[in-house]
Amino acid sequence: MAKSTASSPTIFGIRHHGPGSARSLRRALEQLRPDAILVEGPPEADDLLPLIAHAEMRPPVALLLYVPDQPQHAVFYPFAVFSPEWQALLYGVKHDIPVRFMDLPQTHQLAIELKLIAALTAQREQQEASSHQPSANSEPQAAIYLDPLQYLAEAAGYQDGERWWEHMVEQRRDARELFAAILEAMTALREALREELPDAPNPIGPQREREAYMRQTIRAAQREGYERIAVVCGAWHAPAVAKLPPAKEDAALLKGLPKIKIEATWTPWTYSRLSYHSGYGAGIESPGWYDHLWTTRDHVTIRWLTKVARLLRKEDLDASSAHIIEAVRLAETLAALRQRPIPGLPEMNDAAQTVFCFGNDLPLQLIHTKLIVGETLGRVPAATPMPPLQRDLEREQKRLRLPADVTQRTLDLDLRQPLELDRSRLLHRLRLLNIPWGAVQRTGKVKGTFHELWQIQWQPEFVVGVIEAGVWGNTVLKAATTFASDKATKATDLPTLTQLVDRVLLADLSEAVPAVMDRVQAEAAVASDVQHLMAALPPLVNVLRYGNVRQTDLSAVNHIVAGLIARMVIGLPGACASLNDEAAATMLKHLTDVHHAIGILQNDAYTSAWHGVLKQLSDQQGLHGLIAGRCCRLLLNQGQLTASDAAQHMSLALSTANEPTQAAAWIEGFLRGSGLLLLHDEALWRVIDEWLVTLSADAFTQLLPLLRRTFSTFSRPERTQMGEKVKQGAGNSMQPHGGASREAGSDTQRSDFDVERAEKALPLVMKLLGLEHDANR
Amino acid sequence: MTDILRQHAEQQFAEELHELSQADTRTRPPSWKLSPWAVALYLLGGTLPNKFVVSPKYIGSTRLIEIAIATLATDRALLLIGVPGTAKSWVSEHLSAAIAGDSTLLVQGTAGTGEEAIRYGWNYARLLADGPSQQALVPSPIMRAMQHGQLARVEELTRIPSDVQDSLITILSEKTLPIPELNSEVQATKGFNVIATANNRDRGVNELSSALKRRLNTVVLPTPSSIDEEVDIVQRRVESLGRALELPAEAPALEEIRRIVTVFRELRDGKTSDGKTKLKQPTGTMSTAEAISVVTNGLSLAAHFGDGRMRANDVAAGLVGAVVKDPVQDRVVWLEYLETVVKERNGWKDLYRACREVSE
Repeated sequence: MAKSTASSPTIFGIRHHGPGSARSLRRALEQLRPDAILVEGPPEADDLLPLIAHAEMRPPVALLLYVPDQPQHAVFYPFAVFSPEWQALLYGVKHDIPVRFMDLPQTHQLAIELKLIAALTAQREQQEASSHQPSANSEPQAAIYLDPLQYLAEAAGYQDGERWWEHMVEQRRDARELFAAILEAMTALREALREELPDAPNPIGPQREREAYMRQTIRAAQREGYERIAVVCGAWHAPAVAKLPPAKEDAALLKGLPKIKIEATWTPWTYSRLSYHSGYGAGIESPGWYDHLWTTRDHVTIRWLTKVARLLRKEDLDASSAHIIEAVRLAETLAALRQRPIPGLPEMNDAAQTVFCFGNDLPLQLIHTKLIVGETLGRVPAATPMPPLQRDLEREQKRLRLPADVTQRTLDLDLRQPLELDRSRLLHRLRLLNIPWGAVQRTGKVKGTFHELWQIQWQPEFVVGVIEAGVWGNTVLKAATTFASDKATKATDLPTLTQLVDRVLLADLSEAVPAVMDRVQAEAAVASDVQHLMAALPPLVNVLRYGNVRQTDLSAVNHIVAGLIARMVIGLPGACASLNDEAAATMLKHLTDVHHAIGILQNDAYTSAWHGVLKQLSDQQGLHGLIAGRCCRLLLNQGQLTASDAAQHMSLALSTANEPTQAAAWIEGFLRGSGLLLLHDEALWRVIDEWLVTLSADAFTQLLPLLRRTFSTFSRPERTQMGEKVKQGAGNSMQPHGGASREAGSDTQRSDFDVERAEKALPLVMKLLGLEHDANR
Repeated sequence: MTDILRQHAEQQFAEELHELSQADTRTRPPSWKLSPWAVALYLLGGTLPNKFVVSPKYIGSTRLIEIAIATLATDRALLLIGVPGTAKSWVSEHLSAAIAGDSTLLVQGTAGTGEEAIRYGWNYARLLADGPSQQALVPSPIMRAMQHGQLARVEELTRIPSDVQDSLITILSEKTLPIPELNSEVQATKGFNVIATANNRDRGVNELSSALKRRLNTVVLPTPSSIDEEVDIVQRRVESLGRALELPAEAPALEEIRRIVTVFRELRDGKTSDGKTKLKQPTGTMSTAEAISVVTNGLSLAAHFGDGRMRANDVAAGLVGAVVKDPVQDRVVWLEYLETVVKERNGWKDLYRACREVSE
């Protein structure tokens, strides 16, 4: 029995990610010299622990535990260099002391969670009204479970648990006594809470089972004969593991827990992610500041404010050494005034705002993101076990010199360079696999088709996506290919398929191309919906346009495009007959897109076929005015109709025999987007003018909204000009454009206009304008 | 009660300062009358161990006051910036009263403030009679503060012409004031410091040179953050002013003050207090100080011409005067506000009618 008291473990209740606890813990461990260390964490990751001391390991990193066939169910345990757990693990591994995790395995925890989710979904299906969610528990005690020190700090009159903690830690010499005190405080807190909320349901997972498992792990270690066991766990659990009741109860509690297969790995993490809520309870607000506290041994204030000054200087804000001196003095005086032993973050911020920023709080936000939170990204050794796909991705990143960086940046890829082309392909493949590392900004327009602009920013959670995509293949190329083929077989409508073609070709998945193309061909052949055919065309044309830059094989695409256009041209007149207003608007959009796409192709056969069908449409009886008008306009733009033809069409469409609403729709179709045509073509102007004048009062009121809609699409200067033109009186045009004004000029010239006198003034005007006087005028 | 219209802070609150210095056992910086901790208590209010209650002088952020005091304790000069009426001068006066026991070493900054107001001037009769001598020298408030280790105050620093502003640089960085005419200098005694105030609205009038800016710690005093805080400020000030002016009227009801403060806040923020309606903003600053003067004005109207109880029509004239600074633009703003907000609001009918009458 004496032996069992000798081996009773030393409990270190810590605050997750607290640099103060980390330092005290480190000191306490050096005093205790334990022969075994047990840490709160998932036992599945025990095999990964030796990697901690690896030369390439750089925190912040996270342990990732996931269900291999459902990787979206995953848990992260993030560690920073200042996390007490990390320091305990590092101490153990470096001193060759056995280190073990002792929390309830995620095998069970995730299984319980999955069961809970399934139960809840079933429940929700039964009663739709229920909006209850497992994690959305906002009861106050949840916060206490997550951050018990905060609760104690508030009781002691502090705002911030970490600050209270730091004061308690910094002011104590004997670190072990400190942990004994924490144990005592937590025991009291837990008892008080138990009295207050006797039957409180557990807000954050299977607490009792977890603590039972921790005790079982301690017992196992004792049985193995370790004598000085150090137990590192969240302060909240400390009382529960300090006393070991008979093992029987715990064993009973742990019996028959559900299980699920779990895999574990290390993954790089960031400080900004640390500030979120994840695996280890509450997130922390200022990881960058804690890192500073941990890494800086002396002159904490001076070094921090120097960092601030250097940051501000980089952003072109004045921050001299003299400023730093003053800021340090102010921070220290403030700390003294607030009765703190050393300046904390609030004092630093106050000093920085007052001295560096002249009271302005904008630069403080910069300090917050860059320094207080920080943008550090961790690194894991290459030897870390990881799924093959992730390994392949890392190889690719290295080969393409495209590191996974968390800061957002813009990448301008010149697709004529092989390396940059490969980069673009990788990004496109990842996008296809739903890993949005990069987003394409507008391409081509300014710099030509061989440029591609990307906005890239790596997110640590993409790792989950990579693992998830692992089911499709072991390399990025293979996974993307399989994924695309699968998507192609499942897709049922043509536009989805052609969009897929576009993406597949951008990602250069040559093996997936035939499969996708076959599907497109098959769907296109049976597609009865002309609108689908029309929607399918533009993405394919895009492919053809960029094809030669990207060195993809395009013959298949050409073939499909030819087929699409042929079917479309045949089907279009039928598809446009008897459309209602809404359908006509959709058709109008397709018509415009297809017209644009065919323009890009620059193939005479396609173009003439297209013009043919447009002509047919513009003459078709009973066509919706919107479509007819637009066809007329497109033909006019292409030079297939002369202005007088267009005027004829227009007066036909606007003749009184037609429904006024149809006439207005025709105008909308014809004019939408640009009114310049009206301004410059006198004949068209007059047709519209005459039509408007002949409208009855009732019809005019009815049409006004329609016309207004059309005219509001014109740019403001256009509308102003039109207004002025109307004011001057229809056709009274002294404007020097084109022949139309000459035509209209004679009959509208005002009688009181004295040409001779006007001409006398001309030479002077010419001189003022710096023009040569042309005697013939 | 004395005949003085307005007493200096150190006179008005002499008792509080005395009690504080009795209770204050903490270390005091050289020539400070109180420790920084006690100065903070004096400004923010609180209760001493012997149950003596110290009234709050500044209602608002504790943080800002602490920064201001810490700045003065580091012997760096303090610059208080804020829109008009955010208690800049008030804070500066009370800081000097608490720290140095004297708030009268004051330089009022104007466009005509000359170098002699900051450095020293000459008694020309003596200068002509005896030539330059120590006796012919007329020291400025700042020079006197340097000699005696006290706090000097510079009001409206940004209104002072730039070249005159810059004569502060040597004083602030080397803590000496050279007198080349006498081939001597004045070296500041420990405890000397400067509190300057400047106005947000005047930004760019005489922008501080970066050399001078670097020697000042800047604290921005904001407008009160919540309506309750602002009502509290107005009520306290009105009460103490009413006492000083010996107005016979009874203290105004909190409701009436709240109404006025609401009008001020809404017009200042450009939206109604429920955040639903956008409002045009008048050209004036609509500061808390103006709200205080509207209430005192109403109070005295009620005392001398009414029945001693402040009602809507006592306030109306002052209110309109505070809002309508520009007879054309602000009138539109005010009438719009009256018609869209005041008219609709429950229980504000009397205020609406009274304002309507005055605005017509």
